[in-house]
Amino acid sequence: MLWLRPWRLSVQPDGFGKWWLKVMFEALGINVAGLVTQLVSFVILFAVLYKLLFKPILRLMDQRSERIRESLETAERVKVESARSHEEMQKQIEAARAEGQQLITQARQVADRFREEEVTKARAEIEAERARAEVNIQRERDASIEGLRREFASLAITAAERVVKRSLNEEAHRELISEVLDEGSRLKEG
Amino acid sequence: MSKLFRSPKALTILILVLGTFVLSIAGGALGNEFGGGFLGSPIAHIQLPAEPVLEDELFPGFELTNTMVTTWITVLAIIVLAFLATRRMTEVPTGLQNVFEALIEFFSDLATSIAGPERGRRFLPLALTIFLFIVTANWLGILPGFGTIGRIETPEDVIHHAEEKAGAEIDLTGVHLQIFDGKGFLALALPGSMDETITAAEFEEHGVGDGKQAGLLVPFLRSANTDVNTTLAIAIVAMFAVHFWAFATLGFGHIGKFLDFKGGPIALFVGILEAVSEVARLISFTFRLFGNIFAGEVLLIAMAFLLPLIGIIPFLGLELFVGLIQAFIFSLLTLVFASLATATHETNH
Repeated sequence: MLWLRPWRLSVQPDGFGKWWLKVMFEALGINVAGLVTQLVSFVILFAVLYKLLFKPILRLMDQRSERIRESLETAERVKVESARSHEEMQKQIEAARAEGQQLITQARQVADRFREEEVTKARAEIEAERARAEVNIQRERDASIEGLRREFASLAITAAERVVKRSLNEEAHRELISEVLDEGSRLKEG
Repeated sequence: MSKLFRSPKALTILILVLGTFVLSIAGGALGNEFGGGFLGSPIAHIQLPAEPVLEDELFPGFELTNTMVTTWITVLAIIVLAFLATRRMTEVPTGLQNVFEALIEFFSDLATSIAGPERGRRFLPLALTIFLFIVTANWLGILPGFGTIGRIETPEDVIHHAEEKAGAEIDLTGVHLQIFDGKGFLALALPGSMDETITAAEFEEHGVGDGKQAGLLVPFLRSANTDVNTTLAIAIVAMFAVHFWAFATLGFGHIGKFLDFKGGPIALFVGILEAVSEVARLISFTFRLFGNIFAGEVLLIAMAFLLPLIGIIPFLGLELFVGLIQAFIFSLLTLVFASLATATHETNH
């Protein structure tokens, strides 16, 4: 009965061998009923909290961290993907730019060549034109010189005829010659 | 200082504070010696064992004590809070759910840092239950009404219990009783009743007069951890769990720690020391919590006795802090002991 009703325990003060029982059960107030009540209460609290609080909240928190982990992974993947596609795009732009540059260069070369050809052709034409003109001028001049000479010869013949007609008159000669010369210069001027 | 006197607001506050202080000294135990003591009541009867709430045993062999009542209130309060927190759980936590999640998160990190993720997860629920129970009980225990409202134990019962405890006749002049107005069952520690005491010897001789009764105030509520049974129960659960986990992890290797016959006499002796240290842990668990909370209770009673009104204010803060710290220490040590006991060669680094 000692263990069942320890608060009723009465230990004689002179019973030294049981002093610790006295200390524990009476001075401190430890007793089986109280201890068992507290134990049961605490275990009930633990069981209820385990079912009611820890399990659902821990599960929720696990789910949440799992979801966060997943979304972080997805975000990482998307980031990598977008970086890759960006790089690809950059590469394409670069290629297009190079191609365009090449096209421009080609076009410029073609244009240069075309211009040069044209210039060469024009210069040749001008050259040919000038040569032709020169030839013409030369011919013209030759013809006029020839004409002049013929005229002059006929004038000289005419003058000689007149001199001969008038016979020997120095004055008349001189007059005749100057006349002819005048005529000749007039001719020349005309 | 001069600035203080020029500001009417500060001056008023200063005068009020000083006035309250003087009032509290005059109304307390010091002032009682000089005819004051109008705010105090006789210092409460302090005893280690929890007092029974009812005069008779609830059923044979079972007395309902005030610490049991407080334990049940504590348990109920925690369960209600937990129910409210988990009733409508949302992915984005709000309110109580948030509080509990933060608490669980904190202890989860703590347990993980002590015992690693896997074992920490296993230890977490118990450590957290211990923390929640102890901190709630401690904080409930400093509420007004604890220790000051109760039933009146009659002088006959008081003498009877004292004699039963001593196991012999006792000196009745050494038994102090309070005098209460009226004939009711309920009693309060009323202000101004500081001189309303009587020894049992005087009571036997000429009573207390009409309309009054003598006896002791037996509080209905008393902080749960001021009872060794409570702290011992938690310590037993904690140590039982520690050894259960150790046995589950190490099998009979765990018993081998205490009974090592293969390693010679020194190993055997070390094993016995280990076993003794386990018992010492149980006892230190029990009395660390009990001692701290009981001492806090006595401190509050003494301060309320010496300086009514304001004396307990700083100590209430202290008790809030001590209550929290003791709860944390208890659960932390449980985690540490569990971690040590379940340490294998792989996890022991």
